[in-house]
Amino acid sequence: MTHSEIIQILSGFIGSIGFAFLFNIRGWRLVVTAFGGFLSWALFCVLNNFISSEPVNYFIVALVISVYAEIMARLLKTPTTTFITTALIPLIPGSSLYYTMAYAFQSNSESFLERGVYTLQLSSALALGIIIATTLARIHSKK
Amino acid sequence: MKNLLIYAMEIGEQMLISGAEVHRVEESIARMCTAFGAKRTDVFIITSSMVVTVYADNNETHTQTRRITKSDINYEKLHRLNKLSREICEKNLTEQEIKEKLDLAINCKTYPLWLECICYAVIAGAFTLFFGGNLIETLVSFVIGVTVRFGILLSEKAVSNKIFTKFFSSVIASALAFIAVKIGFVDSVDKVIIGNIMTLIPGIGLTNALRDLFTGDSIAGLLRSIEAVLIALAIAAGYFLVVVLGGVVL
Repeated sequence: MTHSEIIQILSGFIGSIGFAFLFNIRGWRLVVTAFGGFLSWALFCVLNNFISSEPVNYFIVALVISVYAEIMARLLKTPTTTFITTALIPLIPGSSLYYTMAYAFQSNSESFLERGVYTLQLSSALALGIIIATTLARIHSKK
Repeated sequence: MKNLLIYAMEIGEQMLISGAEVHRVEESIARMCTAFGAKRTDVFIITSSMVVTVYADNNETHTQTRRITKSDINYEKLHRLNKLSREICEKNLTEQEIKEKLDLAINCKTYPLWLECICYAVIAGAFTLFFGGNLIETLVSFVIGVTVRFGILLSEKAVSNKIFTKFFSSVIASALAFIAVKIGFVDSVDKVIIGNIMTLIPGIGLTNALRDLFTGDSIAGLLRSIEAVLIALAIAAGYFLVVVLGGVVL
């Protein structure tokens, strides 16, 4: 684990807590959310050593965190949304989106397209992971 | 039945406002109405409107609609409403009890404004650091985060338009970032703006949109997706405006 990865994990963790406060999450749910925010980027960094494709990593992390969110939601009897949306905050491709629009402004169409598609790939991977976990959870609860 | 339906509608509306997915709200309303004794319940919800018809035992039908204009994510409130809707299904609460519990849930505590300002600053600072910014960039981002929160407050007072608020916040964040570069605090605006974009970005909106889409609530999902795309465009527009004006002024 490199120096910058540790900084990322910590700052992503703090960012998640910030959002948890904004969304008025309290008590044990706050602890679970904060741990989720820590877990999501830590897992990403670990996976980075084995898998070189970022979208694939995003997909796996989203899947694992969503399963974590579903389990915690059942334990604490609260809607899953609470944990999914806040724990995955570090994975939101904010930087990618910024560079997409910066390239658009510089009329650098090649880089713009490349970044834009990449941003889409990342967010689709994220959504896919969440959806698969949610659907599986629903099948399980219907039984 | 009529009175009870009003409570079911109220609970559903508040859940939607506090950030629940359409699927959950539809399910909750249907279950509550069944618990109230409805033979059949038809619920149709999109993010901006709710229509519920219940069929009572004596062949009476009641239909109520709600127009939803607000969205204010509050997971504590959602948690309490969710709990209340479960209680309604499991126990036989009287109307008075439902009313009391609903009032309690709607008026649940929120964190004070100053803490919210600090949160904006902390989030902006944290993500500047996260995306590779140095310490000074983080501090600048932190200060801009507080200002953005006040900008949002101002914009919400003047015009209650979500898209405009995002545009305005993006203008503030970008302008202050460019000023910070001009003064010489930081070398480039990139990391500072990225940190502040994280507080504005419709990441949660898009996630919810996709979840709605894939659980079969296509219309609600599409509406949310369009909103998320518009917000992203508004953020980009704010940034563009500042870069263009900055090019003219500086």
